[in-house]
Amino acid sequence: MFCDWVERKIEARMQNRMGPTFTGPGGILQPFADVVKLLTKEDIVPGGAKKTIFRIAPIISFSIIVFAISFLPIDGAAIIPNSSFAGDLIFIMALITIANFFLFLSGWASANPYSDIGASRLLTQFLGYDIPLVILALAPAFLAGSLTIASIAASQYLPFIILAPWAFVLFIVTLQAELEKDPFDIPHAESEVVGGLETEFCGGKLAFLRLTRDMQIVFGAALVVELFLGGPYGPVFFGFPAFWYFLWFVLKLLAVVVVTEYLTCLFARLRIDQVLTANWKVLLPLSVLSLTLTVAVATWVYPLVM
Amino acid sequence: MSQKETDILSVLQAKFKDTSVQVQPQQLGKVAVIADATTYRDVLKALLEADEKTAVIAITGIDLGATLGVFYHIRTSTAGIITIKVEVPQEEPRLKTISDLMPGAAFDEMEVTDLVGVVFEGHPSPGRLVLPDNWPDGVFPLRKDAKLDNLQFKPTPPSEPASPGNEDIVKIIIGPQHPALLEPEKFALKVEGEIVKDVQPRIGYVHRGIEKAAESRTYLQDVYLVERICGICNACHATCFVEAVEKILETEVPPRAKYIRTILLELNRLHSHLLTLGHAGLEIGFETLFQYFWRDREPIMDITEIISGNRVISSGMTVGGVRRDINEADIPKIKGMLTSLRKRLPFYKKVYEDEPSIKMRMKNVGTLKREDALKLCIVGPTARGSAVDIDVRKDEPYEAYGEIPFKLITYNEGDTWARMNVRMDEVEESINIIEYALDNLPTGPFRVRVPRVVPAGETVNRVEAPRGELFYYLKSNGTAYPERVKVRTPTFANIPAFLATAIGSNIADVPPNFVSLDPCFSCTDR
Amino acid sequence: MSKLAMWARLKSPWVLHFNSGACNGCDIEVVALLTPRFDVERFGIKLEPSPRHADVLLVTGSVTQQCAERLKRIYDQMPEPKFVVAIGACACSGGVFKGNYNVLNGVDKVIPVNAYIPGCPPKPEAIIDGVVKLLNSLKPEKPAKKEKKK
Repeated sequence: MFCDWVERKIEARMQNRMGPTFTGPGGILQPFADVVKLLTKEDIVPGGAKKTIFRIAPIISFSIIVFAISFLPIDGAAIIPNSSFAGDLIFIMALITIANFFLFLSGWASANPYSDIGASRLLTQFLGYDIPLVILALAPAFLAGSLTIASIAASQYLPFIILAPWAFVLFIVTLQAELEKDPFDIPHAESEVVGGLETEFCGGKLAFLRLTRDMQIVFGAALVVELFLGGPYGPVFFGFPAFWYFLWFVLKLLAVVVVTEYLTCLFARLRIDQVLTANWKVLLPLSVLSLTLTVAVATWVYPLVM
Repeated sequence: MSQKETDILSVLQAKFKDTSVQVQPQQLGKVAVIADATTYRDVLKALLEADEKTAVIAITGIDLGATLGVFYHIRTSTAGIITIKVEVPQEEPRLKTISDLMPGAAFDEMEVTDLVGVVFEGHPSPGRLVLPDNWPDGVFPLRKDAKLDNLQFKPTPPSEPASPGNEDIVKIIIGPQHPALLEPEKFALKVEGEIVKDVQPRIGYVHRGIEKAAESRTYLQDVYLVERICGICNACHATCFVEAVEKILETEVPPRAKYIRTILLELNRLHSHLLTLGHAGLEIGFETLFQYFWRDREPIMDITEIISGNRVISSGMTVGGVRRDINEADIPKIKGMLTSLRKRLPFYKKVYEDEPSIKMRMKNVGTLKREDALKLCIVGPTARGSAVDIDVRKDEPYEAYGEIPFKLITYNEGDTWARMNVRMDEVEESINIIEYALDNLPTGPFRVRVPRVVPAGETVNRVEAPRGELFYYLKSNGTAYPERVKVRTPTFANIPAFLATAIGSNIADVPPNFVSLDPCFSCTDR
Repeated sequence: MSKLAMWARLKSPWVLHFNSGACNGCDIEVVALLTPRFDVERFGIKLEPSPRHADVLLVTGSVTQQCAERLKRIYDQMPEPKFVVAIGACACSGGVFKGNYNVLNGVDKVIPVNAYIPGCPPKPEAIIDGVVKLLNSLKPEKPAKKEKKK
């Protein structure tokens, strides 16, 4: 929710406005107010919707993402201690895919043509961009020699953004698509499909859908932090290391959120066929290239340099 | 008359010398032609042969007592407006359609059918245009004997099912409430996958019966009424109307009033173009562009407020001049605001020309070729984006436009990108015009007194609204109330362009295409 | 808990804009509210695309026959608690089109209205003033009757 506030403020400032200001100091409680208000509204389920899926899909997708985030080390150790295991990078990426699939289901269950279009666009875009995302994520995995997030984060004596900058840049671009932000925000393009898959939802379920989207942003940014920016590790000055690790993590997270939001404000929205072209013809080859390059550089160049 | 006009006149006179067709020079535009139900199509064909840029501007339906008049207002590039007057008896109001000769006339005919009751045989898609679905049959509002109190409305017909028959074709309805549209209209798109196969428009949601209402208000009250046909181009409606009244009265408006009117008209054009340019940003998902444009649009609203007292609906025009004078002390402030706006223009121009995501969304989207633009009778920046160089300010200068130098902007590409760039360039031209007018403002009175009762007569008039050519037909009957006011707005003429270019495109291309023709449905429905 | 709910409702009113047959003057002033000079996002007001997401319905226009049924349907689709604001002289009473054959003379002939903002068109400052007055009238300290605020 805090990230939602950060995003809205950045978007507003880029557009020469102020953004939420009066709800709490500096508008910081705005997303909180949004969620509470949504939870207290009347709940309407459209007559033609598939009721069970309509009711539970938003909650399930939200829970899955929260579950996935819990695997990311935040303060030197994962939230659920000792929960990291070998290969958990792939595991949480699979979890995110499942969560998005539940988002698609909620749109599909809405019995509204706008929701259908929005949901199918979401799935097309997400599944398409998932592949380059995984390939790009393999670059830091290779550099660290492991598929466990905790060890990837820990083995960054030099943050991987410096060692593999090409992977970082491409990862950020792919992340924009995964998070449905401009220029890739076609699944919830207001001017075409009204609310996209969210059109028929109101009240509490809408709150969960919105929260899911916010959590995805947090998750994406956190992943970038873990994979490229050295995780929560940073200089410890005094007191508990756990506190400092947490602080560094939050700061790096916010930096990534700022960057992605900045990109959002700069671009218009691409059409779905342009999005797909960008994926299959541009990003996929580039991500394979980046992996090859990382392998090549790591095997031959870096041992010479270090 | 110029040489070319005389040619048209002599062509018509020669061709129809021995028929019942009467050619009357200097009536209702440049020439009025009195024809009947058998000969009017021949006259139209003769005009089409003589000039490729012939287009139907409007078709006025009017109740003349025993007969119903159907007046075809034709625009030629050389001879201004030629009106073909046809009358049909009230008991048997039928005429053959002209939409085979001029496809752009289809909408006009549907409106005449709705409001006056003339049936056009052979019309490609008859149906309700401006009146609601539950309007009772047989009641035609513009007839003098129409009983409009205590109407018995029919029950609303049920809407069609979502997926008619073919499973692959999904019907998507845009509107009446839709974030892309500021106004309520319904467009039913039939799409297959992401490609649009068919577009069925249903307009009439904003029909307020203005033409009928104008007949029961005095001329001065009507100025306020026609202003509110459209809040965005309000000054143009007011100007067109008062100019028409002044033509019948043969009043000469003082030069200072002409310049002030020109300034208000160009301010209208400026704020409307900036509005569209920003709105286009919203449609393609570029919110930042929208916010920036509207931020820079605010000074224009301030200037309008300084000159006329209101931000949007300026109410500056009146019959015989303008209502308020410009205060000389305000002029430096106004010029200062215009200068700061002018400084921002190169940045915006570069955005529209070079920005890659805009080019991806707008280039080759909604391309309208020049021949199609001519055939469909398209006007305004939409036409100028397809290399059709029509602009009433140049073709038939009114107010002070004859004395102020400015450029006519056309682009050749014919796509959405070209149309938006036409508007972008016209913004700069408008600033030039306003500054010139402010610098050369003549001294003298700003209005003259006019009589309240207008002698009987009829006239046509047109101005260049931000969206294109705005046309009025006015008939007076010697009282203080007009007999008939007919309005043909530019968006009414441009909707066929949207329908033609939307078919075969992506769904995602529909909003930018739509915005590029700058639709204003309150103008269209009146 | 209800105090928290009330606070949230006041701080996060999401609006839906509907034009029921207006000349666009009021509509462009409503859209202008989102732009940098007026920026109602400061108050937490967001423009929502779908009736199901909105709390406040801003209606402009004098309600033509064709729009009347759609307006009612949109109102029904909005979840409680919901409020309606009639913006402009036309929405309040029909404005300059009062008495025309296709016009219903005001929004309150179709749905209940909580606040009327007159003007032709009302300046954006007037619209903000009206919305703020509406929100203030909901606070429990003041007597909780829904009065017409002119």
